Amino acid sequence: MDLERDETIERVAQALAVVPPRDAQAVSRVMAAVRAHKAQRPSRLTLVMEWMRQPAFSVASAGALAAAALVLGFFSRGAFGNAGSDQSARSTLEGQPTGEFPIVTGGVLPASNSHEVRAVPVPLVFDARNAKSVVVVGDFNGWDDTKTPMVRYGTDGPWTATVLAKPGRHVYAFLVDGTTLVADPRAPRAKDLDFGGDASVLMVTPP
Amino acid sequence: MTEIDPSVPLRAQRGDEQAFLEIVEFYYPRCLRFARNMMGNEQDAEEAVQDAFVRVHDSFHRFREDARFDPWLFRILANRCRTLLGRAKRHRELIEYGEVQLAIASAASPIEIEEEFGADWAEEVRLVLETLPPEQREAFLLRHVEDLSYEDIAVITGAGLSALRMRVKRACDTLRIRLTEVEKRNGS
Repeated sequence: MDLERDETIERVAQALAVVPPRDAQAVSRVMAAVRAHKAQRPSRLTLVMEWMRQPAFSVASAGALAAAALVLGFFSRGAFGNAGSDQSARSTLEGQPTGEFPIVTGGVLPASNSHEVRAVPVPLVFDARNAKSVVVVGDFNGWDDTKTPMVRYGTDGPWTATVLAKPGRHVYAFLVDGTTLVADPRAPRAKDLDFGGDASVLMVTPP
Repeated sequence: MTEIDPSVPLRAQRGDEQAFLEIVEFYYPRCLRFARNMMGNEQDAEEAVQDAFVRVHDSFHRFREDARFDPWLFRILANRCRTLLGRAKRHRELIEYGEVQLAIASAASPIEIEEEFGADWAEEVRLVLETLPPEQREAFLLRHVEDLSYEDIAVITGAGLSALRMRVKRACDTLRIRLTEVEKRNGS
């Protein structure tokens, strides 16, 4: 018997215990956010592959970096004193975790595509229960109706897709059943229609 | 409410997206209930729940196979609620500093509570609940609404058992006193 739970607390608990109904759209939004977040985080393998694709990469430089990392690892464990010969390794690998191969790009590695603006994954959800197919078209995919088909959640749930768009302003729409362009009811309407139909505006901020 | 089949989180941990979808479908309503009661605001509650699931997906490698999933999920969710409450508090302080009426600013999306006991009672409960310090509100909700054991609540909040019992007791005392006053005032 729970002594805390008298009649008043029982009534309070019951008033607060009402479970919200199942919401397919909310679940769909969560799954889209999870997928977008996953797409945004490059794996360690991807980082290594990107680094190796840099023109500055060579087997010799990789060996030098590994050796420098080892020296720094020994240094951080107190294996060596403050010998001047370690200064170059220390300054070269500044910002790297000591004793670990430098997978995460830091000051020593050429910044991967640092002059380019990276595209950001953006989850989109569209409710069209009677549609047989929905495709996202927009300036971020060249208005190509084959590039971003949406996937339906369940048999009559909302349609979802994740698009990659660079930071800035974008215009897009949903192509329903291959014939009808529909603006996204969740987004502001585009005024500068350059393709003759309803469209919406997507503002993407840098990650 | 029963817990999900323990094999589902393990499948999700191994990268099975269908299993993760099952988790979201199973827990979303209950998580939203907790977040609504904690935040007092629908929009913040939905944000907290979505963020929590993103973090669950991100941190699955840290979930121990022999652990129970419910306390682990609610620990992440409670952390998100605390973070967002802190942000909301800072936002509120800014509004108050600007001499805008707080009641107007915060009344944008009232929580809908089904009316088994009448809308007035549910509304009074919600208003009194909002006056509780967040750590008391959290402990009360986990104990008496989510029906979790003190041991589970200790895992979720990181607080000791005696501190948690004290928080729940104080929350119950405040709710009893204030709601009794409300009922006397309303003549019921």
